[in-house]
Amino acid sequence: MSEHATTQSPKTSQGFLDKHHFLLRRLHSLSGIVPVGLFVCMHLFTNFQLAPALVGKANTFQHEVEFIHSLPALVIIEVSLWLGIGFHAALGLVYTFTGKANVKCYSYMDNVRYTLQRVTGILALIFIFLHIATLRWRWNLGGWFTPFFVEGPDGTPLVAATTAHALQGSALVLTLYIVGVFSVVYHWANGLWTAAITWGLTVSVQAQKRWGYVCLALGLVLAIFSAGAIGGALRYPISEKETAAYKASVEHYKQTGEIFHGGGHTPATIETTSPDQ
Amino acid sequence: MIAKNPDSQNSVHFKIKRQDGPDKPAYWQTFDVPYKPNLNVISCLQAIAANPTTSEGQETTVVVWDCNCLEEVCGACTMVINGTARQSCSALIDQMREQGFGSRENPIVLEPMTKFPVVRDLWVDRSRMFKQLLRLKAWVPIDGTHKLGAGPKESPEMQDERYQLSRCMTCGCCLEACPQYLKDNHFIGANAIGQTLYFNEHETGKNLQGERLDVMMEPGGISDCGNAQNCVKVCPKEVPLTLAIAKVGRQVTVHAIKKFFMGK
Ligand code: HEM
Ligand code: SF4
Ligand code: SF4
Ligand code: FES
Repeated sequence: MSEHATTQSPKTSQGFLDKHHFLLRRLHSLSGIVPVGLFVCMHLFTNFQLAPALVGKANTFQHEVEFIHSLPALVIIEVSLWLGIGFHAALGLVYTFTGKANVKCYSYMDNVRYTLQRVTGILALIFIFLHIATLRWRWNLGGWFTPFFVEGPDGTPLVAATTAHALQGSALVLTLYIVGVFSVVYHWANGLWTAAITWGLTVSVQAQKRWGYVCLALGLVLAIFSAGAIGGALRYPISEKETAAYKASVEHYKQTGEIFHGGGHTPATIETTSPDQ
Repeated sequence: MIAKNPDSQNSVHFKIKRQDGPDKPAYWQTFDVPYKPNLNVISCLQAIAANPTTSEGQETTVVVWDCNCLEEVCGACTMVINGTARQSCSALIDQMREQGFGSRENPIVLEPMTKFPVVRDLWVDRSRMFKQLLRLKAWVPIDGTHKLGAGPKESPEMQDERYQLSRCMTCGCCLEACPQYLKDNHFIGANAIGQTLYFNEHETGKNLQGERLDVMMEPGGISDCGNAQNCVKVCPKEVPLTLAIAKVGRQVTVHAIKKFFMGK
């Protein structure tokens, strides 16, 4: 038999990825579940507070967001999340492009699931980036400028209105949110399922099936939360007062780089990385 | 023998991907084989070998393939048939005709497996699989030639599980169908994970469990599996590969934790 079939000995490959292969793979799995996944779960639950707008009721979204903004050491939480997502996404991209999808020849359900895990990962990456860039870093991306304000200069609560403004303003943004959010939900639910195999928690075919139902249920609940939030944002009636307060906030922000944090605090300065200040 | 203008009704039509040597370009040729009942792909390849003439009536070289047992236990004859990896000795022409393959419009397509280097035509070099088994010490270590007494007892349940794992014939279907196993990467593949479990669960084979799990933690080890679960669906011997992947995953988890706290 010809010699070129020899697999390279792992000793000869020196790269960082190879050197810490196992640890990185398991940290990737863990980072998907714990810091990133758990945060996404909480985030989607918070968003669901917008859903009462669907039936024309008042919502507690403002309260929830103010609570989050009032957490101590928020910066640390935020930076750990960015690092967690960055780590998971970077490795996820490497893993995506070192495999070779073959659903065309082998069109099994599980293979579709595998391929979707990679597709939704990339969609999630694009979405999360744009989501953070426009709302959090307040970038102005091609006229898509929807900086997120907790309240206006006069104390008008703006959380729901800002979100509604972002989603109602453009069909493109709305599509991006729908595709992005459902991608994240699928990716996490399916990730929980595969992670249980990776770590050796679900072993038998039956156990994998049972855990599959649990993950499916979890995914459905998160999907309902997300649909409720998006629906709520779409149906939310933005009042004249809110529109005025939002415009004033944007002006104030453009001039001073400050936003109003809510909870009766004085305006806080937020570092921005906006490229077009 | 092959008639010059075979009646399409009474011929089986093949489209075969050919390659004259390891680094030669691939090209396609079509062949017509007179129909008889109970043909399989190998007997058709034999007919082509006896009269290597293409559908256009052009003389050509013999199409090369590999085979041995002719009863789906050696794995040597594995190739990609109509897009899926399977054994050519158990690929029955009558069945494929029922599924609509074998006509001039919809010929039976034969290709070499894509995850292994082609030696010639449909014959590939599967030695990467055997080297991986060596790396994994996929055997039961027995020291010396002296009498060792009766072996350890094995429960019927374990016997049953291990019997299923023992059926692997190193054919490569599971690797051909795996989106994570590529010709130019390191992934050890589903069959090797199956054999790791097979020997780790043997009462004497257990002695080498740590060494096998160390290999499984290296680049290309078990964590390169992406849980697409194609392997278990294409395996002709119904080896419980996804069970093996999860069980070895668990063994590796425990092994890694032990190594972290107690290893050197
Ligand atoms: C931002 C871009 C992201 C990319 C490119 C990405 C990519 C990937 C890929 C390729 C895998 C499969 C890894 C493998 O099976 O070897 C994966 C697994 C996973 N991802 Fe992501 N992901 C992203 C974001 C997320 C987010 C936001 C979450 C949380 C909601 C998440 C949670 C998970 C989980 C739990 C797994 C399962 C790990 C396992 O099977 O062990 N990922 N990701
Ligand atoms: S596990 Fe199945 S498909 Fe894979 S090599 Fe063994 S017999 Fe072939
Ligand atoms: S489960 Fe999927 S990725 Fe893992 S070995 Fe099987 S086919 Fe390959
Ligand atoms: S010749 Fe042995 S499996 Fe086909």
